[in-house]
Amino acid sequence: MTGDAIWYEAAQVVGITNALNVAADGLGALGPVDEPGAPAETRALFAEIRAFYGGSADVPQGFRFIAHDPAYAAEVWAAARHAYADNRLTRRFKEALAFAVSVTTRSASGAAFHLAEMRRLGVGQPGVMEIAGVTQMFSSYTKMADTLQLEPDMGSIAPVDPTPAPGGPAQ
Amino acid sequence: MPTVRLRSAAEYPAAAQKLFELSRAWFNHDFAEPPAMSRVMAWDPEFGGPHGRAMKRAMGPGEFTRGEKEMVAAVVSGVNACEY
Repeated sequence: MTGDAIWYEAAQVVGITNALNVAADGLGALGPVDEPGAPAETRALFAEIRAFYGGSADVPQGFRFIAHDPAYAAEVWAAARHAYADNRLTRRFKEALAFAVSVTTRSASGAAFHLAEMRRLGVGQPGVMEIAGVTQMFSSYTKMADTLQLEPDMGSIAPVDPTPAPGGPAQ
Repeated sequence: MPTVRLRSAAEYPAAAQKLFELSRAWFNHDFAEPPAMSRVMAWDPEFGGPHGRAMKRAMGPGEFTRGEKEMVAAVVSGVNACEY
């Protein structure tokens, strides 16, 4: 897991997962968009989201809340679709990251959604428990480290990536 | 600054030296001193032992690679805003 590119991908997954969980868990007061009565662009957006998630009947709730502004929802979806798609990191692993983020941030809806996606993408119960275990154990290590105010001492393990930003000139 | 004085490896009993060797092998890195967290866990083997074994079980080979699991660990640490 070397090179900075995969870490940028992981950061995108972390960020957009949290953003979608915030919407799903916190924007319920807005109420979901009424799909049959929604504009064509909203219905097309929901169809695209369903297709991405394997034809599931359920559009993630967060999108139903933010689709009151269809143009905004479309941009959020474009970012999410890019973040979760296969790239250097697989979609299967990205769902595991999203599950870990959701569990760590106590988003029950996000944890349930990404658990279902992990399973749909082929992760078995042992694999789910691996991610659950890592998430739980490092939720312990981090709080112990914070309690004792430990200072980072393992930063030198990872090599520095000398490559430029995508499309940029080599230094 | 840590709230406790982190002891050097030399201040730990012989049984802990084995844990530090395992830590060195786990990270495949020759630290001048064992990582702070390793020394914290070695303070009380009745806690650090089972906690470390649970961690190794979760991080061991399985459906996900060790590298993938290290990334999950980094993400969980980041979400928990843990600088360490």
